[in-house]
Amino acid sequence: MAERCAIVGIGQTHHRKVRDDVSLAGLLREAGQRALDDAEMTWRDIDAVVIGTAPDSFEGVMMPELYLADALGCAGKPIMRVHTAGSVGGSTAIVAAHLVQSGVRKRVLTIAFEKQSEGDTTWGLSGGRSGGVGAGGYFAPHIRAYISRSGAPEYVGWMVAVKDRLNALKNPYAHLKVPDITLEMVRDSPMVWEPVRRLESCPASDGACAMVLTDEAGGDRSPHKPAWIHGTAIRSELGQFPGRDPVNPKGGQDCAADVFKQAGITDPRREVDVIEMYVPFSWYEPMWLENLGFAEQGGGWKLTEDGVTEIGGDLPVNCSGGVLSSNPIGASGMLRFAEAAMQVRGQAGEHQVDGARTALGHAYGGASQFFAMWIVRDTKP
Amino acid sequence: MTDPAKTEDEGGPIRFMPQLISLDYTVRTNPVAEAFGAALADGRITGHQCPNCHLVYAPPKGFCPICTIETTAEHEVPVADTGMVTSWTVLTPIQYTGQRERHDYALASILLEGADGTVGQQRLLEIPLDEIRLGLKVAAVWAPPNQREADDRGYGLGTAVDGWRPTGEPDAPAADYREHTL
Amino acid sequence: MRDVAIVSFAQSGSLVDIAASETQMLLPVINAAVERSGIARADIGFTCSGSADYLAGTPFAFVANLEAVGAWPPISESHVDMDGAWALYEAWVRLQHGDVDVALAFSSGISSRSDLREVLCLQNDPYYLMPLWADHISLAALQARALIDAGLATEGDFAEVVARSRRSASTNPFAQLSGDVTVESLLAEPYTAAPLRAADCPPITDGAAAVILVAGDLAREVCERPAWIRGIDHRSEAHYPGLRDLTRAGSARLAGEQAGVGTAPVEVAELSACFSHEELLLSTALGLGDDTEVNPSGGSLASNPMMVSGLIRIGEAFRQINENGRHRTLGHAASGPCLQQNLVCVLEGDS
Repeated sequence: MAERCAIVGIGQTHHRKVRDDVSLAGLLREAGQRALDDAEMTWRDIDAVVIGTAPDSFEGVMMPELYLADALGCAGKPIMRVHTAGSVGGSTAIVAAHLVQSGVRKRVLTIAFEKQSEGDTTWGLSGGRSGGVGAGGYFAPHIRAYISRSGAPEYVGWMVAVKDRLNALKNPYAHLKVPDITLEMVRDSPMVWEPVRRLESCPASDGACAMVLTDEAGGDRSPHKPAWIHGTAIRSELGQFPGRDPVNPKGGQDCAADVFKQAGITDPRREVDVIEMYVPFSWYEPMWLENLGFAEQGGGWKLTEDGVTEIGGDLPVNCSGGVLSSNPIGASGMLRFAEAAMQVRGQAGEHQVDGARTALGHAYGGASQFFAMWIVRDTKP
Repeated sequence: MTDPAKTEDEGGPIRFMPQLISLDYTVRTNPVAEAFGAALADGRITGHQCPNCHLVYAPPKGFCPICTIETTAEHEVPVADTGMVTSWTVLTPIQYTGQRERHDYALASILLEGADGTVGQQRLLEIPLDEIRLGLKVAAVWAPPNQREADDRGYGLGTAVDGWRPTGEPDAPAADYREHTL
Repeated sequence: MRDVAIVSFAQSGSLVDIAASETQMLLPVINAAVERSGIARADIGFTCSGSADYLAGTPFAFVANLEAVGAWPPISESHVDMDGAWALYEAWVRLQHGDVDVALAFSSGISSRSDLREVLCLQNDPYYLMPLWADHISLAALQARALIDAGLATEGDFAEVVARSRRSASTNPFAQLSGDVTVESLLAEPYTAAPLRAADCPPITDGAAAVILVAGDLAREVCERPAWIRGIDHRSEAHYPGLRDLTRAGSARLAGEQAGVGTAPVEVAELSACFSHEELLLSTALGLGDDTEVNPSGGSLASNPMMVSGLIRIGEAFRQINENGRHRTLGHAASGPCLQQNLVCVLEGDS
């Protein structure tokens, strides 16, 4: 029987286009210190550190766990670094959780980060070669296929963009704040990767997110209400082979089924109170709602259209503003996991969903081929 | 990358000092990509057919990733230079360092006749951007023979094909491309 | 802790200036490890890999390597941008949960397509160290110099490590550098970065390796002589060489203590000593005496595929139990400038 794992501390940076007030290490420490403060711990109390970030080429630091060891208090301690493409923030939290659940460590600090301003991400993505299409160019054909299959009206994409940006106004850490955003404004924003418009896309952010995870005894002693992990799952699948469906990938379906099973969830639409999912382009909200089993095939967009995914709806999605509002790439997945935990801890402030007790954190990466998810609750498993 | 001039102009403390890092890598074209490239230079597209599941991969990988068995020249099969658009996007190029694209352009996934998987990020030519559609039948517009270079990683068609033009045939029905978004 | 054993190991051998892609290089190695384990691929419950994007010069380089695993239907899989030894560690942690019994850990690296003396500079603090372009060989030389200055070793000691490594490697078909060299001839060679000579530094190697881990009784069912992981731990120390006592491998000592190295005699130690003086440092830090045979494979001085070397050390320690009937061995992995980060894995056979 695996050890129970509690989330007793959560911290994040203010995400901005450029955080030139801190170094790379300073950015991680800002999030890490907030998580430790929340847990009423110090750096000394930590047994092991797990960090995660997207490709090293984004910042030009190879294997950054080496350089960051000093700033993260890791002299004499274990530190490891996870890299699973865009899902990395989620996978990193899961590796940290596994260190606790396995009984190997008692108190683990996990931090995911990206400082996009210290490199050139689009260049990094293309490996320095010309003709790189960026993430949007890669995902746009998948989005087109979804729209074609589901017959969703194009304003659904605008609705997600508006909802997440309005949610971001309630999140003091969010990067992109567009107070006067409207459907028309999204509709009239420039087309970047047809059919994706600029305001339907995520920004490039500097930011970090951190969590302190402990064993059951640590959760029992937690000065603030902890969140408890009820399930963690990861799946990877081949990026390209004949007949693969990147619109509704099997890896995402399997990962969701696995994590729901661990948490004893049989009807996710009713039993999950709030979702933080990885939506870097607005259409991924309806796409993932279907992929994870919250809606039938071709029906995800109706949940968005009906307002079900708004903070006041009965299945709120991305109350924090999501990736569409803050996108420190390597940290984006962990922010989803952390925001899910904040909801069941009642810690989400203005974007808190009343009575949230079961939350899903979701991240994906690569060619929609890497998935990481967890279910957290306000009670022990 | 922050513009160095800007930080100086502001008169405040310097926050950023751009440090451009240049690293040299040797490019090695793997043997499978090299054989594929030789065929491309010859105006032929080839694939490898997995002896186990019989799927045809074009470009060939030198293995079947589903069956995890190696494939070699003996598994080579010819693939047509015609096919259909299974998905596409129109890009407005971001002007990052090294970018050579300046104007909006269309990239498509193309399912070639005789292959089971699509070739991604192929340029569409001779068609207005707003007339592109799923199922559009296309044919290769080959680059001049002396300009046909394979991608060293074995991705795509390198510089062998300038792009793809509509053939004028009727579009393929949805059932033919639905499962080939990639 | 749940009993977990290594039951199978495969390596590509020292590939030099390989033309194949990393994925093409990996595929037969993973296949061999799976085949030798006698376990069906579908029964692998967790997979973890190690590699470094900067070696490939391609962001997300590891994504292509997924094609060598058979990730369809989807698998439970993770990746560390570290030596495969840390992938093995993550797999061992995962097996402790109890719901999964079989794990695959693998790693790959092509070191030959870049200049490591450039690329590895990017491991240093980007603000204060990296702009100095202090490369890994120069930093290693500073550590070697510190040992000499402290009276803890001589250049002759370094040369003896090299000579023994080459001699041992003669019986290892996977080694890159082997043969009989004398200490005198080694000392007659010019310096690369004083006090280190070319032979004190690792060769440039491409390669891949894979290991199958199995928990509990299943390990005995599938393997006649499994190597049980009796202790495994990894530790870092301060990044700045100036903050450290370079005459000690402090984090190696800590990891060794946590892994329980000293609780019983170690018959064979496979150490990731990429530079000759590092073997002296590590042997001291781990408390290894004359009764421990060090690097019978020749070690990293004889073959050093980056991101794979550490996993191979653990694989060689496994082979000593599985094939040579030894009882207690250890495998070690290191990362970063001047042995900043160390992992120690203690293995035991069934007595």
